[in-house]
Amino acid sequence: MSETSRFRSTEGSHGALKGAQTAWDMLSEEQMQKHITTGCEELDAILGGGIHCKEVTEVGGVPGIGKTQLGIQLTVNVQIPVECGGLGGKAVYIDTEGSFMVERAHQIAEGCISDLLDNTAHRLKDFPACPERLQPNSFLSNIFYFRICSYTEQIATINYLEKFLEEQKDVKIIVVDSITFHFRQDFDDLALRTRVLSGMSLKLMSFAKKYSLAVVLLNQVTTKFVEGSFHLTLALGDTWSHACTNRIILQSV
Amino acid sequence: MSNKLISEMGLPASIANVFAARNVLTAKDALSLPEFDLVALLGLDLDQVRSAVARISEIACPPCRTALSLLEDRARSACHLPTRLRGLDDALCGGIPFGALTELVGPSGIGKTQFCLKLALLAAMPTCYGGLNGRIIYMDTESKFNSSRLIEIGKSSFPHIFQSEGMAQEMAGRIVVLRPSSLSEFTESLQQIKLMILRHDVKLLIVDSMAAILLGDNERSTTVQKQHSWRWPLSFLKSLAEFSQIPIVVTNQVRSQNNDEVFHYSFQAQKNDTSKTSERLESHLTAALGIQWAHAVTIRLIFEAHSGQRFIKVSKSPTSPAVAFPFVVESSGISLLSHDGLEVTGAEICTIHCQDQDTTFLTRGPSHTLIFDASLQQFSWLGNIANRDVDQASRIETSPSSIFLDLLLTYHSCFKCEIDQTICIWLHKFLLLLQLLIEVGQT
Amino acid sequence: MEERGRAEASREELERLIDGGTPYKFAVASQVPMPPTRNPRSAIHAKSPITEEVGEEDVGMEEVSVAIDRQQPPWLNGVELLEDAKWNKHVLPTGCEGIDILLGGGLREGQLTEIVGPSSSGKTQVCLCSALGVADLNLGVVLFLDTCNSFSSHRIAHMVNSQSDTLVKEGKEGRLKRIMSSILCHSVFDIFELMDVLHQLECKLKHQVKSSGNRIRLLIVDSISSLITPILGGKNSQGRLMMITTGILLKKIANEYNLSVLVTNHMVGGEGGSLKPALGESWKNIPHVRLVLSRDQGSNICNVSILKHTIIASGRAAKFVIDN
Repeated sequence: MSETSRFRSTEGSHGALKGAQTAWDMLSEEQMQKHITTGCEELDAILGGGIHCKEVTEVGGVPGIGKTQLGIQLTVNVQIPVECGGLGGKAVYIDTEGSFMVERAHQIAEGCISDLLDNTAHRLKDFPACPERLQPNSFLSNIFYFRICSYTEQIATINYLEKFLEEQKDVKIIVVDSITFHFRQDFDDLALRTRVLSGMSLKLMSFAKKYSLAVVLLNQVTTKFVEGSFHLTLALGDTWSHACTNRIILQSV
Repeated sequence: MSNKLISEMGLPASIANVFAARNVLTAKDALSLPEFDLVALLGLDLDQVRSAVARISEIACPPCRTALSLLEDRARSACHLPTRLRGLDDALCGGIPFGALTELVGPSGIGKTQFCLKLALLAAMPTCYGGLNGRIIYMDTESKFNSSRLIEIGKSSFPHIFQSEGMAQEMAGRIVVLRPSSLSEFTESLQQIKLMILRHDVKLLIVDSMAAILLGDNERSTTVQKQHSWRWPLSFLKSLAEFSQIPIVVTNQVRSQNNDEVFHYSFQAQKNDTSKTSERLESHLTAALGIQWAHAVTIRLIFEAHSGQRFIKVSKSPTSPAVAFPFVVESSGISLLSHDGLEVTGAEICTIHCQDQDTTFLTRGPSHTLIFDASLQQFSWLGNIANRDVDQASRIETSPSSIFLDLLLTYHSCFKCEIDQTICIWLHKFLLLLQLLIEVGQT
Repeated sequence: MEERGRAEASREELERLIDGGTPYKFAVASQVPMPPTRNPRSAIHAKSPITEEVGEEDVGMEEVSVAIDRQQPPWLNGVELLEDAKWNKHVLPTGCEGIDILLGGGLREGQLTEIVGPSSSGKTQVCLCSALGVADLNLGVVLFLDTCNSFSSHRIAHMVNSQSDTLVKEGKEGRLKRIMSSILCHSVFDIFELMDVLHQLECKLKHQVKSSGNRIRLLIVDSISSLITPILGGKNSQGRLMMITTGILLKKIANEYNLSVLVTNHMVGGEGGSLKPALGESWKNIPHVRLVLSRDQGSNICNVSILKHTIIASGRAAKFVIDN
């Protein structure tokens, strides 16, 4: 009895700190939170079930390794209906390089739907409304696409997302492909670049937390001179490496 | 978008005046500064700055579209240039895509220019024959363009179309060839191209080769300047492709990989040495222009030669896995030997093989090649690029003289023109004469 | 104009009173800014201009001296400081043996400890471990201010469950609940938000009962460098000012309310490719204790070494293991 009252008083006395939650409450929330599957079981296993919501994940790799493919796959997989074990949400795709091929997204959506129909047919029988939603075109209509041509537009879009996410409540994933491109080319003042990027990453973190969605950033690689030899490393410098919650590097074996 | 004026964005007058007073005139100026700096610069409240930045961002942000509307747009208009190589077109979902940079990488003499000539012809042809019916801009930095070869390709591939003389002339007339010789000329030409694209209907831009122009100035500038100087052409080409929705094809050279070239990330533990050395021996060629360029192109096709055949390998593509097609160079351009691609996996995707490692390509003109064959210690003259004429090469019997090699290279770099057979023989005789004079002088 | 005249008149009066032998602190009164809640002029006016009655003037001076004392903490001598350190400033174990041994027990209350390290060297793990340690020993409440969404209650639950516990009285579930309820997490994404939270915390701490069992013992900010990097640099030095203000506020909270503050920082490239802590030269002097973490490639062993400490010599190092 005394313990429970202590808990209550704990919550009560710290209720003055607005927005604080105890780890116990967060645990039960986290356990109920679903993850976004990447489509690859081993990758899901490393990530602890898939891409986590409320976190910023960075994916990097050499050109041609499949980062854009993973990004498009995630925008499709986030739309898997709740009845089939997914999140049933919408996606925002911010394209800075022009590598989003809508025909490929259509192919991936078709593949995903046919997998769903094969594997979870028993569940779908109970929910007759599902087959209407499971059309490639309806999946494509839930992907919001922004084409960015300069870093100014990139910053403006991420600022605008705050208002956009207020209006579109179902967005569960934001994919930025790639976060690096314009910042590597047009920015000459590196110190200013670091500050602008840190501000941008804090904003993305706050979106992830506030709207309970996943943020996936695709990054390029560059070479760096470390400890006497050249190594491959993700672009945008050391400070950026601390801006994300998770970092994944894709490599070919 | 980024140059929109703040004064036209409908901010409250007092705030707009403050922005103007501090010389923050466009959206770009306002958004390049972090929030904290803006507060300090403008002397406004944090809340006021935040709401102003939110309003500016909303206006500077590009419009939001759904993927479905993109698909419908694509379905309405053509978006690929078919290459007429069935296997490749299937792999690329239709052909060379519009609005993206396609890169061709490969060692010299493998067929990149042939491919480019074929593409130029295909784009020039009228739509009833499957072409784009438009003009083509061909930026030829190494003087490899040859109109007679172009017409030969046309006549062999489409004999029924090119029967009439007028047709061939008209097709050739649609191709505008520019020959920039330095980076500054190249950037100037790019600016003029933008105007040309807006005025006439240019359907294809080919840059052959990008590496020659970007690496050409490297004696004077430092690495940092070098990277700065070609960032602009890169972003310009990409934005040009996007904006005008035309295909842009760029060729790239190869260079040998240094021994301390990067293979791994810093967090990986070092592999044992034996596997490393064997890897290095196999993949000793890599694309020039570095990793930043590799990220920027949308599709990369690697032309390579190994196991006695030549292959086109789709190395980087958003729409297809890595496949390789064997091909040959014929009078009608390039043709695939098999339309089912061979799957390529793992590290093979990015490596470039060049079969004849002992061969050094010294100099190439549009219709001939001078090769120094280290194994046979001979110079060979290839009278025509097409394979069938290899047998007719005439050989210059000469001693393996490095001085002669140096002389030839010096001649080429000084005069930047093709070395034809007569000049070669002349130089050889000159050298023999010099050697004779030295010997006579010494005795 | 009149106000200045009145102020000058009152200053003259004060000086007259000083010459008359009133205590030293009133001379200071004219320069010290009055507390913002009270009208400064009215405080000086509290005493009537030139009155013969010494008693009324003394009352007015009393108010002024009380107001001054409220602004400045009382002067302490060495003995009082030692007593304070012995009785009020305890040591909190971090739960990582290597660090505890290195620091002679753990994190000290009243001090600001900074952990610096490159990416994925274990900083967040050390923070989570310390939170767990403090909560487990029932020492009090832990407040975790999270700027990069790296707080994972799952991880803490995992660590609790994997620790072999000999307690028979409470079951695993009860222990988990007890520990997790003592850890509070709050997300801040802005330096201004952080300052707001710290001011709120300060107000609350002032009014809470000191002996209650659920007072805050440990305050963790992970990571403070991600909040400061967007404002540091630039043409003016206001960012640096903000950073130093935050550091001083954290140290003040630590000292006055006897809690320990732990912050994390990242590293940037220095000369010759070596890494150095971020946030620059001005930040170097702010934390009391600075520890550098690094992890060997591909292994679970972390190296920790002291960069700066109030008592222990810098350069001492230790190892510890982060296991699953």
